[in-house]
Amino acid sequence: MFIHYLDLSWRSFKRTPLVSFLMVLAIAIGIGITMTSLSVYHMMSADPIPEKSSQLYSVQLQTMDDGSTWWTEDNMPLQLTYQDAENLLNAPTSEKKVAMMRTGFSVYLDSDKIKPFIGNARMTTPDFFSMFNLSFLYGGAWSKEQEDSAAPVVVITQEINDKLFAGKNSVGELIYLDDTSYQVVGVINHWPLNIKYYDLNNGAFNQVEELFMPFSLIKAKELVSWGNSNGWKHENTPTFADKLQSEQVWIQFWAELNTLEQKQAYQNYLLAYMQEQQKRGRFNRKELEYKLRDVNQWMQYNNVVTEDNKILVGLSFMFLGVCLANILGLLLAKFLRRAPEVGVRRALGASKRQIFLQHLVEVAMLGFIGGMLGIVLAQLGLMGVGQSYDYYENLATMDLTMLLSAPLIAITTCILAGLYPAWLVCKTNPAIYLKSQ
Amino acid sequence: MLEIKPIFNALCRSKVGAVLLLIQIAITTAIVSNAAFIIQDRISYLNQETGYPEQDIFKFNVMTFGTDINLSQQFELDESMLRKMPGVVDAALSSSIPLSGGGSASSFNLKPAPQEGLSVRTAYFFIDDHAINTYGVNLIAGRNFTEDEVLVTNEITQKRTNVTIVTKALLDELYPDGDGLGKIVYFGDLPLKIIGVIGKMKGPWLKDSKPDNLAFIPYIKAASYAQVAVRTKPGQRAAVMKEIENAMLENYSKRVINNIKGLDELKNEYTAQDRLMMRMLIVLITILVLITALGIFGLTLFNISKRTKQIGTRRALGARKSAIVSYFLVENALICSLGLALGVVTAILLGKMLMQYFSVAALPPSYIAVTAIAVFLMSLLAVLAPAKRAANISPSIATRTI
Amino acid sequence: MLQMNNVSKVYQTEMVQTHALRDFNLQVNEGEFIAVTGPSGSGKTTFLNIAGMLEPFNEGEYLLDGVNVGSLNDNQRADLRNQKIGFIFQGFNLIPDLNLYENIEVPLRYRGIKANERKRRIEQCLEQVGLASRAKHLPQQLSGGQQQRVAIARALAGKPRFLLADEPTGNLDSLMARQVMELLEQINRDGATIVMVTHDSELARRAPRNIQVVDGQLADFTLYQGAQTIKTASGV
Repeated sequence: MFIHYLDLSWRSFKRTPLVSFLMVLAIAIGIGITMTSLSVYHMMSADPIPEKSSQLYSVQLQTMDDGSTWWTEDNMPLQLTYQDAENLLNAPTSEKKVAMMRTGFSVYLDSDKIKPFIGNARMTTPDFFSMFNLSFLYGGAWSKEQEDSAAPVVVITQEINDKLFAGKNSVGELIYLDDTSYQVVGVINHWPLNIKYYDLNNGAFNQVEELFMPFSLIKAKELVSWGNSNGWKHENTPTFADKLQSEQVWIQFWAELNTLEQKQAYQNYLLAYMQEQQKRGRFNRKELEYKLRDVNQWMQYNNVVTEDNKILVGLSFMFLGVCLANILGLLLAKFLRRAPEVGVRRALGASKRQIFLQHLVEVAMLGFIGGMLGIVLAQLGLMGVGQSYDYYENLATMDLTMLLSAPLIAITTCILAGLYPAWLVCKTNPAIYLKSQ
Repeated sequence: MLEIKPIFNALCRSKVGAVLLLIQIAITTAIVSNAAFIIQDRISYLNQETGYPEQDIFKFNVMTFGTDINLSQQFELDESMLRKMPGVVDAALSSSIPLSGGGSASSFNLKPAPQEGLSVRTAYFFIDDHAINTYGVNLIAGRNFTEDEVLVTNEITQKRTNVTIVTKALLDELYPDGDGLGKIVYFGDLPLKIIGVIGKMKGPWLKDSKPDNLAFIPYIKAASYAQVAVRTKPGQRAAVMKEIENAMLENYSKRVINNIKGLDELKNEYTAQDRLMMRMLIVLITILVLITALGIFGLTLFNISKRTKQIGTRRALGARKSAIVSYFLVENALICSLGLALGVVTAILLGKMLMQYFSVAALPPSYIAVTAIAVFLMSLLAVLAPAKRAANISPSIATRTI
Repeated sequence: MLQMNNVSKVYQTEMVQTHALRDFNLQVNEGEFIAVTGPSGSGKTTFLNIAGMLEPFNEGEYLLDGVNVGSLNDNQRADLRNQKIGFIFQGFNLIPDLNLYENIEVPLRYRGIKANERKRRIEQCLEQVGLASRAKHLPQQLSGGQQQRVAIARALAGKPRFLLADEPTGNLDSLMARQVMELLEQINRDGATIVMVTHDSELARRAPRNIQVVDGQLADFTLYQGAQTIKTASGV
């Protein structure tokens, strides 16, 4: 019977092509607009590492004195001071943890074949790779000893490896970064990341760095951050050593806490750490405060999804509402015109339920066609979005969820719009349409 | 003349269609007025005066990896080379670049730290005496830095800078009485005498809480990573930009020149999201108005075909064509007015919601009023064509049975 | 076969109550061919709609084949209608988008008959009304008489035992009307019970039993008796 209803729907579509086309167009445009903004929203808010997003915690410490303020909603600095990061890193606790900072170097080889270029670097600790689920094409992370001794080693991305070494296994090779040579110890596989969630400092949609190097090199090479450095009080920091000891915040810190017990233990440790630091005159506050936020909370806290996008999604759904009202009106007119035919069908033994279903199948078909067309429109819209904003290029696409939900939303919308007209047409008294035509 | 009562009664009988149209008009009004306001807000944000001849300025980064030179001397050589290049007006090392979204900000205080006093947030550039000419901004009072006042160093020395040039916005905030020129402000505990005032120039962040506060501090710290701003003669920027990498590398080769970008390009990158939002909203409301117009158009067509016989009968009974047209226009105007009344309320509520949850300013009533009028006119236009078609229905239709 | 006891139908509008049927009593036996006549607005069509379960009634009792119709829900009524009743209308009421074959198929589909059985029956019915060669035509390509024959074929396809016809010849010229009437008579001889509403006395006279509806009530007599009564009345 379903196939038969589909057949009837298609005939009905062809009988009033203009009105049917208008309805399909209305739903297609509604879906197109909604899907465009929803897709961007979806890609922005999607969990970047679903398998362990609830085990990775960004660590924040309230280092400011009472009375000082920050722009975050809970008045907490987003990053740590170098000294706190170093202390937390050296803590005698067992969990994986990572301190890091973004910087950059001139990259070149000991030959003239490659023109020197600027490479973005992440100064980090060896746990970084396993914590954020990076995989190695060649080699691996540097060792604990290399980290502790600020060894001149580097992990490079597949892209850089292709550029410098034509994709060959480059482990053991030397590359020059600024004035020093570094030994390649690993090459990571391509790491596509829509949202650079591990460091939201320089914009959430920035590229992943090309170089990964020991955190200890910051101190050894006096590397400055290519991200935000913020202070909350006046400090004179003429030398790099001063800066390392200052209250300026510029280091990102994450801990991997796999169980509730582990998290509890870490919280206790953080409190104890701050209390101990109080003896040195730091954390000079009435109430000690720290925050552990998991990946999704961290993204939300940092407003990765922009306000504009939320407004757009809201307005788009209102737009879809208008389309729904529009379709409802047209369906009402279309179905009521067909009342005589329905009267005949009722006289020939169709039950109300069968009539109702027939009409719902018809609107669902309109919804499906509209949804498909809507996907095409959304693709056009996303192309426009991608073109007008470089950072959005990766985000302005529809993943499978979005592709599947487009017709689903379209069909649901249409069925919602069709319920009333279908009900109206199936409950009308068939007798009155039979007498004279 | 206009038979409102019977039209109204007829409407009441076909409630659902009318209610649907009413809802459409209401939501359309709400969305369009709010979106139009946001669009207008973005347009004025994007078109704001920055104070710079953006078309003539570009910047580039220098990343030096060679260690066989004195950076300070090299930069001086570079600068004089740049300033001599054909087409170049002036060039200067600049610790940050305006409109780029990257830079430093601090507070200027009336008392030295750690004493407390009036404290004003401002962005600042470490730059030399070529700053004003390079950025093409207007010195409206006071004087430029002298060459001697510029501290050039890559060493820690005891010598410290002691002058600054600030924007008028910053000066007025520090000294509201207008007597700030020549006074001292404190950058931390460092006293700086305000020797010059610039009329208007924007800092690195157009979205900053104080986008107009900017100070030049005459200090050049030679570092392996530096940014250079260049102003060219009008129309010659593209040519100079093409030359710049080679010219710089010819001067000294152990470095990377990158990120060669015009000031307008930097601004475009910084405002990309806002332009995107603006465009999407424009597309959204255009299509929305079209859809609503189509809805009105379609529904009127259906109403007419439903009433073909009735219209024929009216014509047969002596109704003029104009009476038929005005019947539909009045019918539409009635629905539309109700829809607009509801729409105004919805628009205000939506505006309140946007204001509450997002950083959108209060919706001015004028936007609602203009939108309402536009929607009303649009609906009349949408009805006009079908109504004229209805008026052309032959009276003889009334006498036919089918 | 069909039995109505004191059936009443009231139409309620804002202003007035109209009694379309008032204490209507009728017994129709298996195999009968009944013509229903009466002045315009007397309730003929209302009677037919209630008989076909297209409209509910307000009071009384209606038994179809021993089933009390008043106690059925919509689905049950639809099934009963589909299985026992065939409809023929003055306006033919063929569905314009469907060709003849598909039009006849409609009631069979609602009954859930399998495709090959449907095909057999439709071809048989089209044969019966003499339009087998036109199966793929659309209704508007046929004359009025042909359309009505299709409508009859559609009514017959479900092999109903009870055929309700509302002015089946109303839109036809006399020659075509006669052909349709002959077809109905043939169907009646084959065993179906027919109730036909008409205002054509010529046609009504061909039916073995005539009933007249006046003001929503039944006057049951043969035309011959009716003529006598009228004569007597006028003679007084």
